[in-house]
Amino acid sequence: MSNLERSKRRYGLVAIDGAMALIIILLIIQIWLLSATLETFLAGHTGAVLPAAIFSGLVFFGCLTLDLFVTRVDQESRKP
Amino acid sequence: MPLLRSPSKEPLWKDEFSVFTSDERYVTRRQFTKFLTLASLGMFVGNLWILAKAYFTKAPSFPSVTVGEVGEIPVRGVKLFAYPTPQDHCILIRTGEEEYVAYSQKCTHLSCAVYFSAKEGRLECPCHQGFFSVRDGSVLQGPPSRPLPQITLERDGPRILAVGVKGS
Amino acid sequence: MQGYEFYVDPSRCIGCQSCVRACEECETHRGTSLINFDFIDRGGTTASAAYVCWHCEEPTCAMACPTDAIKKGDDGIVQSSLKPRCIGCSNCVLACPFGIPKIFPQYEQMMKCDMCYDRTSMGKRPMCATVCPSQALSYVRPEEIRGRREKPTNVFQFGNQKIVTRVHMMVPSKTDSVSMDVLDYMWEESYAAFAQPQ
Repeated sequence: MSNLERSKRRYGLVAIDGAMALIIILLIIQIWLLSATLETFLAGHTGAVLPAAIFSGLVFFGCLTLDLFVTRVDQESRKP
Repeated sequence: MPLLRSPSKEPLWKDEFSVFTSDERYVTRRQFTKFLTLASLGMFVGNLWILAKAYFTKAPSFPSVTVGEVGEIPVRGVKLFAYPTPQDHCILIRTGEEEYVAYSQKCTHLSCAVYFSAKEGRLECPCHQGFFSVRDGSVLQGPPSRPLPQITLERDGPRILAVGVKGS
Repeated sequence: MQGYEFYVDPSRCIGCQSCVRACEECETHRGTSLINFDFIDRGGTTASAAYVCWHCEEPTCAMACPTDAIKKGDDGIVQSSLKPRCIGCSNCVLACPFGIPKIFPQYEQMMKCDMCYDRTSMGKRPMCATVCPSQALSYVRPEEIRGRREKPTNVFQFGNQKIVTRVHMMVPSKTDSVSMDVLDYMWEESYAAFAQPQ
């Protein structure tokens, strides 16, 4: 493997590491959101349930976007 | 996923199980990211489930049950009854000449039976010294975090009816 | 090590086997020498040659391994087989064009030279290159090897297949690559039936 190829590969890995860190943060937010929604729903306040579901969906689509980004970086790195 | 895979000269197994450690790192990271996204999807589905339950669960209807007669118990006296099911123990307290209040007897801490202390004028739980206000069932002191569920009472002539549960 | 390359010159080998003893010193495989030391024609000559793993760019041993036990790192070194994965099937032994991997049936494990990775990753030379008195095995910068009469090459032709390695072989200055046509290296006088006109 040439040095140029190797450095390209390394930057790809850094980008993936960054995307993974973002996903983990989003996941932590989503875990909290789910537990908080469940708590309020069981307490009887059903007003917060719809906004929570919408926000959870947005977070999921954020994770999906980052996952597609990671897949794209992975495929780019394999191109000769 | 074969659907999203761009054309490559190597077969899929060669890319996934590469002999080069730098390629391996890509594979493990990509798989972990996919797993995280799946977890995110699972939690989104959880939120949707709660949403569905909130919209499709009917408000509970409570029966109307006679729990006593006016004047049956003295002022600052109590009567125990069961509402809405025989397993739900409740306590009726006459706080004044014409004032009656009723609460669920299950302490909101660890479900011990609360009793009315006429001397202190409050509902007390003997297990861990949790005290509730007799006016609205809110917590005055102790480990309970939620107020006592209140039984909605109605007067029907000489009878006192229990018609609903608030804040259970 | 950055900037250093491994050079093998079999014509300099004096057969002292210091490399064999030195290779045994490595902590990870103490007592087992992983250098490939050959007597060219024991009956006819005292000539000998010592080889290390050639650390090919596209390692055939790794490609042939059914359990993905052989890995090539970012620094170009093909590692010896991973202990948890190697099943001792000898696929790599058969696949390697240079005959480097050795199978150890008592451990059901393949072991091969890994350029003394515990040393070279820390800025030291491999054991064999350190002790070779004639520097048939040398681990130096390319500038230092230019002083020799021979020139290094890392391209090998195996019939139609071209193999590029990390370790260099010293060849006559007019040669570009080392061709490994088996018939080129047979003693035609002994095997008249296989004698081919050159």
